[in-house]
Amino acid sequence: MIRALLFKEWKKTKWFAIGAFIAGVILLTYLFLKLGRSFRMVGLEHLWDVIVNRDQFLFRDLKFFPPAVGFCLALAQFVPEMVQKRIKLSLHLPLSNRKIVFTMLGFGMTLLMIIFAMHLLILLTFSGIYFPVEITASMIYTLLPWYIAGLAAYAMMSWICLEPSWKRRIFNTLIMFASLQLFYLTDFPGAYSFVVVSVVIIPFYVLPFGYFSVQRFKVGIQD
Amino acid sequence: MQQAIVECKNLTHYYGKRCIYENLNFEIPKGRILGLLGKNGTGKTTTINILNGYLQPRSGECLMFGESSANLSPETKQKVGLLIEGHVQYSFMNISEIEKFYSAFYPKWRKDAYYELMKLLKIDPKQKISRMSCGQRSQVALGLILAQDPELLILDDFSMGLDPGYRMLFVDYLSEYAKAENKTVFVTSHIIQDMERLIDDCLIMDYGRIVMQKPVSELLESFKRYRFTCEKPELLDNSNHIYNSVSIKGKTELYSLLSKNELEKLLSGNVKVTNSIQEESLSLEEAFIGLTGKY
Repeated sequence: MIRALLFKEWKKTKWFAIGAFIAGVILLTYLFLKLGRSFRMVGLEHLWDVIVNRDQFLFRDLKFFPPAVGFCLALAQFVPEMVQKRIKLSLHLPLSNRKIVFTMLGFGMTLLMIIFAMHLLILLTFSGIYFPVEITASMIYTLLPWYIAGLAAYAMMSWICLEPSWKRRIFNTLIMFASLQLFYLTDFPGAYSFVVVSVVIIPFYVLPFGYFSVQRFKVGIQD
Repeated sequence: MQQAIVECKNLTHYYGKRCIYENLNFEIPKGRILGLLGKNGTGKTTTINILNGYLQPRSGECLMFGESSANLSPETKQKVGLLIEGHVQYSFMNISEIEKFYSAFYPKWRKDAYYELMKLLKIDPKQKISRMSCGQRSQVALGLILAQDPELLILDDFSMGLDPGYRMLFVDYLSEYAKAENKTVFVTSHIIQDMERLIDDCLIMDYGRIVMQKPVSELLESFKRYRFTCEKPELLDNSNHIYNSVSIKGKTELYSLLSKNELEKLLSGNVKVTNSIQEESLSLEEAFIGLTGKY
């Protein structure tokens, strides 16, 4: 049954997932080409100076890509459920509501983590070739909060989509943008090194909120 | 009396301050087809939503197979086939994908029943549901319910958006299946003529109340329309066994559960009937209008 449920989620999100992966690869390719051009134009010494002495981060253009992917994945997955109240069909499946909702949310979270892991792998492979381990490690600490923001954006957008009341949706949206600010307090490379573990908790902490929205739908709350 | 598959006890629901109904009680015995008839906005879908656990009533409770409908176990959900208003299904799947998807959830899945109905549609198994007409989608939804082989079928406004051909196909298939397999069905529709061919019992709702709850045969046997002329039509009392009396230029028309003799006796004293009372048998649709009025 769970496999069938996962198939349904895949059917909704397949083209988006492929598109998001390709868009990420295109964005990374653009960044690599831009960096390669800088290597040739200003020389490696200057780049070294920019990274080490001036604490500049070369992949800043990636900043809002993960939350954008998170938002869109949640929309792709949950808008079809809420249009015509199709979620009634899902909740009528012979499984507990908790299992149904958490399987759907778990699928989205896992899919997002796979897409992000592939992007990060490409990025870190590139970085490993051209930069020393210390710079690559610092890059991970700078990128991680943004990618975790992508997971949090997914969890909170799911919460918004599954919410049956428009008034509450607006309130949830404000909470979402306020919470996502936590991931963008500074661009300084490696600034989140000491708190990254606590930041990881946020998306997993907000993920069950979607289940609470479904419970509100179940008792018939509407505007 | 057969065991009740569905029991609704003292259901009361309001949307804000608007009362949908108070103390609604009904049962659906095993093997019966109950039609919930009512005009738009009388609470048909509200009742279906409460029954499926998608709405918490202000008070009262609904039991399905003895379990509270607000919290159905997976085993009970497996025994209930649900058709949502507008024949909503997973429109991002095609007809073979959706069959495979649902088959994983129901152990008694009858693939043949689904494909037998799909053959009538003459469409490619790879066609997406989103690209089908409303009639075709209704057949997909019905086919899935038949394949699920549930003990109880709950169908919310199955005739919505269907042309007469698809409506008849739907009714014929459903009626044959339910009777042959002794299924219990709870169905709502605002097209009453379809219901007459399908249902055993009817529950007629008007704004805020149940007007009548009877087997259809009994209702049509006893509920009649009477026409006559009288001198004082204003003295007719709609609450006293008389439904929806209308008088135009001395010609009066009313509906009643009373026999002709009983009605003559009732009217003899005050309204002064001036000719013989004409009695007319009714179709379910006419009986529905007689009970709920034209407006």
